[in-house]
Amino acid sequence: MKNRLKVLRAERDWSQGDLAERLQVSRQSVNAIETGKYAPSLPLAFRIADLFGLPIEDIFVRDG
Amino acid sequence: MDTTTVSAKRTTSFWALTFVGGMFGTGLLLFTDFVRPPWGMAIMILPMLLLIPMVRASERMRSATGCASPALTRYNRRMLAASFAYVVGFLIAVALFKEQAVSKPAAALLSLLPTLPALGMIWAMTRYVIEESDEYLRARTVNAALTATGLLLAIATFWGFLTTFDVAPHVPAWAAVPVWAAGLGVGQLVEKVRGA
Repeated sequence: MKNRLKVLRAERDWSQGDLAERLQVSRQSVNAIETGKYAPSLPLAFRIADLFGLPIEDIFVRDG
Repeated sequence: MDTTTVSAKRTTSFWALTFVGGMFGTGLLLFTDFVRPPWGMAIMILPMLLLIPMVRASERMRSATGCASPALTRYNRRMLAASFAYVVGFLIAVALFKEQAVSKPAAALLSLLPTLPALGMIWAMTRYVIEESDEYLRARTVNAALTATGLLLAIATFWGFLTTFDVAPHVPAWAAVPVWAAGLGVGQLVEKVRGA
């Protein structure tokens, strides 16, 4: 699943580690989500959306 | 990749290879009758000790790669304790069974010696899946466990038919635990390569 995490992170000058700490997940999780290798669960997606103050659909983009 | 991560990965690989080499070496000693079973099998405890620095190195590597998790640390410690108990229980049970004339009820009790630690391994895995708050790390472990289960089912089925058709020798059912553990290692490697 494509997403805008890298851009949103860069806008805030956050490293993957910074974002991981804020979400209370491992840096590997952030990397896997960011590169589209892992699709987060709905609760984690909501946590990410809350952190950036955006609706989920503005962060995660539907495939195809 | 920074120097700390590279160094942590090298140390983990070193201990992992030393462990595999140690297990293979002691297996060879037993196979060539250099050491005599059943008590000579106690030599297998020596390479098991290599698991301690290997687990510590892998924990340092996880910290360096941002993959650290308290649940994973607990799982490693529990699995390590269960593995030691399994090997020791296995050696004692087999040695006593082969050297003493044990009655059937006593033999049934002896079989619990390695079985209980094996149940401890299953408990450790169950606890990890419950305690891991990082869903990505949890998914990776569950995927690796599914790979291990699939491999075990495939190997057991194939071997079962080979035995039925007298092509391969009989293998005791307790071999399921070490085969599954090896499969878990393969599954973790698959997850690592996939990077998902």
